[in-house]
Amino acid sequence: MALRSLNLPGVGTKYEFETDKGDTVAIFFTKNGTIQMYTLQKGCRTPSAAEMTPVEARRLGNILTGAIIEADQESVEIAFSALADLRITIHTFIIPGSIAGKTIEDLQIRAKTGATVIAVCRHDRNIINPPPTFAFEAGDAALVIGESDQIKMFETDILVG
Amino acid sequence: MEGLVLALFVCLILALITKYLSVPAIPFYILAGVLLGQAGLGLVASDQMSDFFSEMGLIFLLFFMGLGLKTERIASNRDAVLTSGIIDLNVNMLIGFVGAYLLGFSLIESLIVAAAFYISSTAMTVTSLIENRKLMIREAETIIWLMMFEDLVLIIFLAIASAGNQNLIIFFVKILIVLGFLYAFAHWGKEFLISILDRDDELPIIFTFAAVLTTASVSTYLGVPETMMVIALGAAFATTDPDAFEQHARPFKDVFLVVFFVFFGVTINFSGGANWFVIGVICILAVVSKFISGMLTGLAIHGSALSGLEIWGNTIGRGEFSIALAVLYGSPVVATTIAALVIVTSIIGSFTAKYSMSLRRGVVRMGRKKSPSHRIHS
Repeated sequence: MALRSLNLPGVGTKYEFETDKGDTVAIFFTKNGTIQMYTLQKGCRTPSAAEMTPVEARRLGNILTGAIIEADQESVEIAFSALADLRITIHTFIIPGSIAGKTIEDLQIRAKTGATVIAVCRHDRNIINPPPTFAFEAGDAALVIGESDQIKMFETDILVG
Repeated sequence: MEGLVLALFVCLILALITKYLSVPAIPFYILAGVLLGQAGLGLVASDQMSDFFSEMGLIFLLFFMGLGLKTERIASNRDAVLTSGIIDLNVNMLIGFVGAYLLGFSLIESLIVAAAFYISSTAMTVTSLIENRKLMIREAETIIWLMMFEDLVLIIFLAIASAGNQNLIIFFVKILIVLGFLYAFAHWGKEFLISILDRDDELPIIFTFAAVLTTASVSTYLGVPETMMVIALGAAFATTDPDAFEQHARPFKDVFLVVFFVFFGVTINFSGGANWFVIGVICILAVVSKFISGMLTGLAIHGSALSGLEIWGNTIGRGEFSIALAVLYGSPVVATTIAALVIVTSIIGSFTAKYSMSLRRGVVRMGRKKSPSHRIHS
């Protein structure tokens, strides 16, 4: 698989590579900010194309790197192969009404699950490293970091229980 | 003033409609100008203000063109770029020139018509390649470099045409000095330029606007055409951070260029001796000659007539640069002819670009019907 990148005047940057099976994938970052992805099956003449916004392209990237994505919740697992194959999962959860008004301290998130809330997105504003006194509201998107078991515990014990 | 506002308002509506239908807006701006101006309803007339805005439009168009010129961008497949560029230049210049001359234009007029006839619209071509999702097809690269080549030819043409009666050697020495000065400024002042461009306040925009305007007005004192100076400024700035300059100059270019197009239409006057027969023949020739050059390029570069068809379909539209030539050097009759040329070819071109894939499929199918033996073997 050889990746070719090319600057096209007036258009933008092109990345293209051929897979081992002979299919071709090309990505164009156009000057007007959209990203176009083309795939060309081996032996075919006309490629098929999809145009994406940068956000959509990042989502696609997350899927391709092996993360799981559900409707509103997504998670990324990062493996640090140098650190004894340490695997860290970052997962987003939408806070349900059942725990609205409770603080991180009340819920004893760290003690019960070992996972940590590292950021909360509320009405398009991000709160990074919320303090223990931080109270959740229904509809907040919480970014939780931990091992995959800890994340599962967060989902079963904190959100549901 | 009221005329300008009315024209801008009409263009705003046209922009909305053309974006919605994803067709090129340039021909409709010109048509709107023709309808509103002296050839039509007579509601809008050009005045000092609109003249200034139009001039700004032209200057920013050329500045953008300069920004796109990057010396290190010489293609890896230089032979292919040269081959396609030279085919395109020779075929279209020749047909345009001979056609115009035989139709009764003077030698100089024929040259201007030929240049406007030769140069396809880079803006329309690139936009249609992106919008019609054609970036990956193998002809796309050929087409994009072809546009680059045409831009370079236009710069050389502008340099020669604007030299006029001056002594050519002195003229080019002057241009070289200015170019050297601008490059030296961009080179030694690179850090200063980038520090300005990196700010998030209004400074980068003011600086970009002032730099372009200063360059344009200083040129008058030096006796160097402002068109060349502004392109040179763009090319010199392209060595620092062209994307940032594009971003800061885009609002000016977008607004002023619309005024430029619509007031080009306003000043068109059909009673000035423009001949419908001549215009019709030129428009047909314009489509045919790009077909010939496209086919030759397709066969030479990709070894396929179908590729030629694709190249043709995407390069029919003439646009912003043809109009720039008409405004800079055209007599009223030439300007009217070029206006019609741009309107007709850009509308035809937008359809051929959109449906070239179906066209190719149609041609392949027809070929199969005529020779059924092919089908058995394939």
